[in-house]
Amino acid sequence: MKRIWLLLFLPGILGLLLKIILERGWLENSVLFLRIDLGTLALLLGIFLSILLFIIWGIFLWQDRQFNDEFIQYQATTAEERRQFLQRLDHELKNPLTAIQAGLANLDGSVNQPAIESIKAQTLRLSRLVADLRKLAELETRPIERSLVNLSAILEEAVAIIQEGPEADQRSITLSLPQAPWPLPEVQGDEDLLLLALLNLLGNAVKFSEPGATVEARAFEDADMVTIEVADTGPGIPENEVPFVWQELYRGHGARGVPGSGLGLALVRAITERHGGQVTLRSRVRQGTVVTMKIPIGEVTKL
Amino acid sequence: MEKKPHILLVDDEQDITSNLSAYLNRSGFETSVAGDGEAALQKVDQNPPDLIVLDVLMPKVDGREVLRQMRQADDWTPVILLTQVGEASERAMALEEGADDYLNKPFDPHELVARIRSVLRRARPGRPPLSAAWVLVSGDLRFDRQSRRAYLDEEELSLTPKALVLLEYLMTHPDELLNRERLLDVVWGWEYPVGSRAVDTRIAELRRTLGDDAGDPTYIETVPSLGYRFINPVESGK
Repeated sequence: MKRIWLLLFLPGILGLLLKIILERGWLENSVLFLRIDLGTLALLLGIFLSILLFIIWGIFLWQDRQFNDEFIQYQATTAEERRQFLQRLDHELKNPLTAIQAGLANLDGSVNQPAIESIKAQTLRLSRLVADLRKLAELETRPIERSLVNLSAILEEAVAIIQEGPEADQRSITLSLPQAPWPLPEVQGDEDLLLLALLNLLGNAVKFSEPGATVEARAFEDADMVTIEVADTGPGIPENEVPFVWQELYRGHGARGVPGSGLGLALVRAITERHGGQVTLRSRVRQGTVVTMKIPIGEVTKL
Repeated sequence: MEKKPHILLVDDEQDITSNLSAYLNRSGFETSVAGDGEAALQKVDQNPPDLIVLDVLMPKVDGREVLRQMRQADDWTPVILLTQVGEASERAMALEEGADDYLNKPFDPHELVARIRSVLRRARPGRPPLSAAWVLVSGDLRFDRQSRRAYLDEEELSLTPKALVLLEYLMTHPDELLNRERLLDVVWGWEYPVGSRAVDTRIAELRRTLGDDAGDPTYIETVPSLGYRFINPVESGK
């Protein structure tokens, strides 16, 4: 179907054939008219050109749609393949890990204890990683709770939890929530998951910035969305790394010295998308980062 | 001396069964091992164990089929199934297959021992476990697991889905100390830094709805810094 544009030549070819047939005298070449005024000629040409352009435009649109369909399908297949891969990985890793954990438990008290402890800790870390990857994959498919959630309360709670953290006291953490003309509307969703996402964003802002940095969380209503922003004056993320931050286990240059699972932002993205929202990140090196999370306002609470 | 409980370990990975049986022996159990479902059914026939630790994915006959055949033959030997129960659909299926408890791989062997002990303590010889009961009754409280509704004095309780799952788990594990990590794993399938807060919120919701006083509880007791315990006796009902 890629050669469909060849059809455009069809009228021309038909005209040419007719011309040849008539010239050869196989059919009677009757004279239809002799004169045509310039106006009529312009009109006929105009109509002809319009039809031609219309056809070209249609073909262009059609191809574009097909490309889009293919792209969406490609994305769906990739997501499904990734999910299946994670499932197989989980399955292949959990038997050896079970055996290792049981074996280690048997060694307790018999040999070099510090060595055993360190192997145990690493085994636990590996087990946790496998479990986290599986849960992340599950989160993308499993149904989530849809109750009315007060995002203001959740933001306040998340900020309070982060402020209790060990690194928070050297940073200025502020939260601004709208009060006038009205407070944030409620959204539909799972409050535990939303809290988890916000904790991850605030936690990153604190974790990756230097003491003395400013962390700001703010939220506002914007058409049919609630927009939440978490901004910091941290080291920022280089432009070429920004597109990858949402991927599982991706760790940028700046993140290598900082402990973490490499799953935080992937989790934030999955949670946001399960709520029908979008999340984006803007950053400037040495200036800071802002993550913008948009969650649609539930039908119930819309005025 | 009291007879040691006899545990049958069923898994096709020899490295798992050999290490686990050594660990269980040291923890005061007698163990035997089967490498697939067929062998497991034979062993259950020849030398009935007190409890079976059953893997799901195995050659020949898989774990779910072993469990189904046993329950159909009215054999209610306690079974801990080594798989994950998460989604609602899985929960309904788990209820029908009649395992006593679930543990997902990989697990800490200490945790397996703790589960074995509590299942053995809960077990009612020859009778289906509470985990396989369609209706749970505790005093004035009634939990219908097919329709997923809870009633107090015949009046339906309005609870969030998660509070229902939590109540169901508490009622199927009466008189057992359940720490927050485990409840978190059961209800949310997530362990996260401040997850204990999520558990506490839902417990508070349950207490409010049940009219249970945290200071002098009828149903849910707080065990300081350890977790929660459902203290009212639970029976399977109709």
